[in-house]
Amino acid sequence: AQENTIQWKVLGQPLATGKIQSQKEQPFFENFAERTGLPIEINYQPVDTTGIKDTEQLRIMKAGLFDLVSLRMSPNSRDAPVLTGLDLVGLNPDYATARTVTDAYLPVLDEQLQESFDVKLLGAWPFGPQILFCDAPVSSFSDIEGLKVRVYDQNLAKFVESVGATAVPMSFPEVHQSLSLGAVDCAITGPSSANSAGWPEVTTHQLTLGMGSAMNGYAISLKAWNQLDSNQQETLQTAFNELNDEIWEYSESLYNDALNCNSGQQPCETGTEYDLVNVEPTEADLAQVREALLNISLPTWADICDQANPDCSANWEANVGPVIGLE
Amino acid sequence: MIERLENMLAVIFGAIFLALSVLITLEVLLRKLFGFSLQGSHELGGYALAVGATLSFTLALFGRNHIRIDIIHERLPRLFRAVLNCLSSILMASFAGLLGYLAWNVIGDTLAYRSVAQTSWATPLIYPQSIWYIGQAIFMLAAIGLAVKSLWLLISGKLARLDEEYQPKSAKQELEDELDSASQRQRGPSL
Amino acid sequence: MSLDYIFIAFALMVAMMLLGLPIAVSMAAIGIIGGIMAYGLPFMNSISPVVWGVQNDSLLTSIPLFVLLGEILLRAGIADGMYRSLSIWLGRLPGGLLHSNIGTCALFAATSGSSVATAATVGTVALPSLNERRYPINQSLGSLAAGGALGILIPPSVNLIVYGSLTNTSIGQLFMAGIIPGITLTLLFMAYIAVSSLMRTRHEDKEANYSWRERLSASVDLIPPLVVFFIVMGSIYSGLATATESAALGVVTALIFAGLKRKLTWTTLRTCFIQTARVTGMILLIITAAFILNLTISLTGVASTMSSWVTSLGLTPVMFLLALVVFYLVLGMFMDVLSMQVATIPITYPMALALGIDPIWFGIFVVLMCELGLITPPVGMNLFVVHGIRPDNGSISGVMKGAFPYVLLMLLFAGLIIAVPAIVTWLPEMMR
Ligand code: NA
Ligand code: NA
Repeated sequence: AQENTIQWKVLGQPLATGKIQSQKEQPFFENFAERTGLPIEINYQPVDTTGIKDTEQLRIMKAGLFDLVSLRMSPNSRDAPVLTGLDLVGLNPDYATARTVTDAYLPVLDEQLQESFDVKLLGAWPFGPQILFCDAPVSSFSDIEGLKVRVYDQNLAKFVESVGATAVPMSFPEVHQSLSLGAVDCAITGPSSANSAGWPEVTTHQLTLGMGSAMNGYAISLKAWNQLDSNQQETLQTAFNELNDEIWEYSESLYNDALNCNSGQQPCETGTEYDLVNVEPTEADLAQVREALLNISLPTWADICDQANPDCSANWEANVGPVIGLE
Repeated sequence: MIERLENMLAVIFGAIFLALSVLITLEVLLRKLFGFSLQGSHELGGYALAVGATLSFTLALFGRNHIRIDIIHERLPRLFRAVLNCLSSILMASFAGLLGYLAWNVIGDTLAYRSVAQTSWATPLIYPQSIWYIGQAIFMLAAIGLAVKSLWLLISGKLARLDEEYQPKSAKQELEDELDSASQRQRGPSL
Repeated sequence: MSLDYIFIAFALMVAMMLLGLPIAVSMAAIGIIGGIMAYGLPFMNSISPVVWGVQNDSLLTSIPLFVLLGEILLRAGIADGMYRSLSIWLGRLPGGLLHSNIGTCALFAATSGSSVATAATVGTVALPSLNERRYPINQSLGSLAAGGALGILIPPSVNLIVYGSLTNTSIGQLFMAGIIPGITLTLLFMAYIAVSSLMRTRHEDKEANYSWRERLSASVDLIPPLVVFFIVMGSIYSGLATATESAALGVVTALIFAGLKRKLTWTTLRTCFIQTARVTGMILLIITAAFILNLTISLTGVASTMSSWVTSLGLTPVMFLLALVVFYLVLGMFMDVLSMQVATIPITYPMALALGIDPIWFGIFVVLMCELGLITPPVGMNLFVVHGIRPDNGSISGVMKGAFPYVLLMLLFAGLIIAVPAIVTWLPEMMR
């Protein structure tokens, strides 16, 4: 096998993203040949060490420098709006739904990316539900009416505004300070990011209603894919399926652990213990989220996506619609 | 002619950043006082920088502000100096040309993907990027023009003029400009 | 990537720079040649999105805004007035007007990004008075050169923004981290002036006493820079604004003060615009080139080679930092400091991280090393500047002699922050 070792360059998740990058992704690529048995040597670079912005990943792949990218869906939807279909606001309130939606939509995404970007999708996984942290007594989602809520993207902004809150876009490092000074009342992120950034020090409640799942995936250039014979392709796909399954499971366990830590429950193994009030979403909350999905996120996105590809929203409705119970 | 172009570019540049400052100030005040957010200045700031950067490249080129170290250079015999000055302007033109080519690639991709900014305005990226490309093209043309001129000066042996127009701006020159404007300001009583 | 290649490429780049070729082009050329040698033509195409990514980064928008802010204050004559006010307040200290030199530089440094403009302005106002009162010329010039260098450590600072953008470090925290070291270094300079004045036998360098009323009425000119400083830093510290937003607030405030002084003329504004554009263009072209070089450095694994090399040497963090002090001291003698910073950070930063050094702390350290480069011969921007404004026909070696004690003080201070890192890290940690 030594005579024709293949060399691949891989652009990974930012180092700053924490445990999934350091415990699952990086080890996988660093032991790639052993894990897959394929004669492939990997040069793995976290995206934030290269100076490449994560919005540019698809273009960088098209340029041909990287063979495989740990694709961040939300930033890259700038060039490929179809990616957003995996994680519309309100679509994935929990892990189980996210998994069903991903399995249903992945073939559509893959086909689209192959067509427009010469890129094949080897799977997708979430950082996990992005939930609400508030320095105010909230007992349901509608209680954020009149509050200032930090959001990290535009779709979320529209969503929180639909229930009468003020959306404040703000970069992650500034949130802690703003919460403690009352510049914002609530902020949205994943529970383990919140824990490691110390948000529970400056908030009182966490509302475990997932507004987005922060999806990511592994995209390989068709050029690299076609370097392999069909057996090798199958081996590669299997290896990535295993990795994706592992990450799904790990992501969920990190999520639950962080929820425990934030609210002072056990087991808490990966974070600092705090004493937030844990607020479970009510039936009304879930209904409201579903409402927002149908009336806000979906139509807004469908407009943009259909401009790039006329079949976009029709494909989504055909594949994702049934699994989430749309007629 | 160059002076007029310089003035025009500088005014556009200044207007962009003054307007941006006022807009951001408004946004911060609105956010603080009324909890209301315009959500546009962040995006505009990025476009302002992209366009402003290309204009400023050209202005720095005319003002000979792109840094060159003259510690060895100024001690060389005139012919060497002339060759290095000419080489510098050719290299600068190549870099400007490369940036122009790269910007062209960016625009091509944006058109192909119909890329749309992930913001409330959902700005089609082609708008800001076209203006950015024009700025990059002006820089490219200016740099190529200067390079051709320096080559012509070198070939026709006008080394003194080459020296005068293409020598890296020394600290002394830069300072003279500053001192001029400082003494102009100090019409008031001195201590 | 082997160490030999890295050292050859670095030497080649420095050689191009020293020959007088444009800094930005030298960096981009090495980056592109290295990238193409390693990866062929696809490397060229992948630079496109990088260039747009850098030039569209709204974090870097703070650079033209801060430069514009400093220009407005300068061209409206506000820095000129500051010197007069401060000399009334500080003139009675042993060392007299030399304190005003340092004090004005420090205060103006806090609002302006440019040390050349600071040194030139203060120099023009100060030197006639210094001369009249027969202050030793070399010491006067030395204090001006050193004071001007404070500009890049005390926020706002373009050098700190550049560091933050190259390393993904929070600009707000870097600015916070610069305050205490900036003040401490200023006080250190002033203490040195007082002591050396007391040690001299002549004591004529003490200024007349002023009444409180005179002091207060002269302080009007201190208000604008202080207000601008508190608006910029206060809005960052309180989480009200990002670094870029705070710069915009500063620009608007400076415009208001310039308007109040009736200096907001079309000519003044146009000068501000041209100067701001020139400085911005110079900086951003270097940064664009730096990101191209950075891509090659990270893809070819230069950074990790250097990091594992430095760990393999078994250096402790302190030994590593002392070695860096020597490295930057030598490099800073010959290189322009912004270029030095941009060219070295992609390599030294991962090495520092590998040794467990705090990223914010390291930013302040690197900028302190740049300050040093501004006043070390033979290439020291601030030395040239104050030499250019001296009224007599003395040689530049006099200026170097006058600045030398400050070189020692900065080295001493570097040792101090290595020994007591909390000087740097305490304030930004308070902010979290
Ligand atoms: Na400053
Ligand atoms: Na120096």
